Amino acid sequence: MTDALELSSVTVRAGSSVLLDEVSLRLDRGQFIALVGPNGAGKSLLIRTALGLLRPVSGEVTLAGRPVRALSGRQRAARLAWLPQEALPEDPLRSVEVVTAARFRFDEPLAESRRAAGVALAAVKAEKLSERLVSTLSGGERQRVALAATLTQEAPLLLLDEPANHLDPVQQMAMYQLIGSLWQEGHGVLCVTHDVNLLGHLAAGDALEQCQVVGLAAGKIRFRTSLRAAELPDRLSQLFGVRFIELRADEHSYFVVRKAPRLQ
Amino acid sequence: MTIRIASMVAVSVACVCVAPFIGESLDGDEARFILVSLRIPRVVLAILVGGTLGLVGACYQTVLANPLATPSTVGTTGGATLGALIAIMSGASSPVSGVPLTTLAAFAGALFVTMIITSIASTGRARTADILLAGIAISLALAAASTGFQFFSDNRDLAAGVRWSLGDLSQIDYDELFILLPFLVPTALILLYQTRALEALVTGEQRAHSQGVDVGYVRSLTLGIGALGVGACVALCGPIAFVGLIVPHLVRLSMGASRRILLPMSFVFGAAFLALCDAVARVSAPHSELPVGVVTAAIGAPALTWLVVRSSRAVN
Repeated sequence: MTDALELSSVTVRAGSSVLLDEVSLRLDRGQFIALVGPNGAGKSLLIRTALGLLRPVSGEVTLAGRPVRALSGRQRAARLAWLPQEALPEDPLRSVEVVTAARFRFDEPLAESRRAAGVALAAVKAEKLSERLVSTLSGGERQRVALAATLTQEAPLLLLDEPANHLDPVQQMAMYQLIGSLWQEGHGVLCVTHDVNLLGHLAAGDALEQCQVVGLAAGKIRFRTSLRAAELPDRLSQLFGVRFIELRADEHSYFVVRKAPRLQ
Repeated sequence: MTIRIASMVAVSVACVCVAPFIGESLDGDEARFILVSLRIPRVVLAILVGGTLGLVGACYQTVLANPLATPSTVGTTGGATLGALIAIMSGASSPVSGVPLTTLAAFAGALFVTMIITSIASTGRARTADILLAGIAISLALAAASTGFQFFSDNRDLAAGVRWSLGDLSQIDYDELFILLPFLVPTALILLYQTRALEALVTGEQRAHSQGVDVGYVRSLTLGIGALGVGACVALCGPIAFVGLIVPHLVRLSMGASRRILLPMSFVFGAAFLALCDAVARVSAPHSELPVGVVTAAIGAPALTWLVVRSSRAVN
């Protein structure tokens, strides 16, 4: 028996427009998949389909071998957790309350949920924020609390939607180092991002070989390759329609957009 | 926080205990009758109705993710009002097995409207703003129909209708309290049992879905059960304005938004608030009484405004 999340030839439509076109993807424990692509490519939509929030017109989403929409909410939540792009609400809620609420799937007394929430907050180095109101936190702090809520679900597979959105470079690096350690602990991670360079913070050089990059544009998967593959800059160029070049420093590759020639 | 909760509970209990003794001094032979047969059932009614309205208001605000969502804005109250007015205006007042026809008609109206709203909400895909808009549209249509009925009715029916629509706790005896209990006790218990799911819903519907909450089920259960309780309250006492809106906000602004605190405290505070408002209504007009809905609005609206202004200053 496997825990894998599997999308097989999934097509999602809204009216006449095709939002996801025959997408197949498999995420298992210990895997890291970075989903990249331009705005509107369907990356967040793919995640919402995987969670059973959207119904595909054809194809199938299965989780641990069963159709995801046939699982009960608690069964699904035990295997698959999500860090949405949407910010936490402005209601006067304390961090520990937000994380405790995410323990919904567990049938346990409140004290146990509180204890587990404390552990999750410590895992993202946010134990000091526990009693603070979420509305008073900075963007980086808020995102760490949101990640703690995702982790406290104790699911083996994580869907992270732009986890470093709106964070400064230091916070971005810290966030990806943290995600990297979750991957090394054995989680399967599907991570949506615009910026492949952030993936370099996940692990030491050789381990990055195992980091898959999947390119999505206009609802179709355009390529699957490794973060360390030589073809990556060309693939990114095709995907985004601008020229990516590879720069090297400290034996590590950085991908940047080449300045377009000025039109006369 | 524990101290705040404890002091709020203490103040609420004190309000409820003092409420029966507010009014003309209790001397002489009639004192016992007034206290036991008139005032105590009235205070018990205020506790049940105020608590239910406060709790249901807090739950509606949560499942509809909107601070303006109350039984009044999603049409529950409007349906009950129209039902009762039809019964009053048509002059049919003969009771059905002891229960006045007005009460039955109000109850049927509340449930009918809620069935429409719940069927919209139960798909789980309807956006909360859409549900609320549908509720407001239905409320306005019902209000128009109620006005139409009043326009075509004679003066005596009109007076009775207006009087009913202002809300009134004074016409109550112990038998009617016992009619209310089988509706309100399950309402409160079922809603409080949903606390964990409602707490998860505060951080967003889709997030709650990913955490394992069956959003469509929780929504329709909350709206349906809430309507059962509010329908019973409105049927017996008429629509009492503001309690379902103001009480959850007062609790949220003073004690935080965690539903584990907000839901039970909205019941406690709603009960004390309505008991106190009813006592004020009893003594504020000489030789007569103010409708309790006037008092809840007169006390609640300025209190809420003050709290909102104060809390927005604290954040900025």
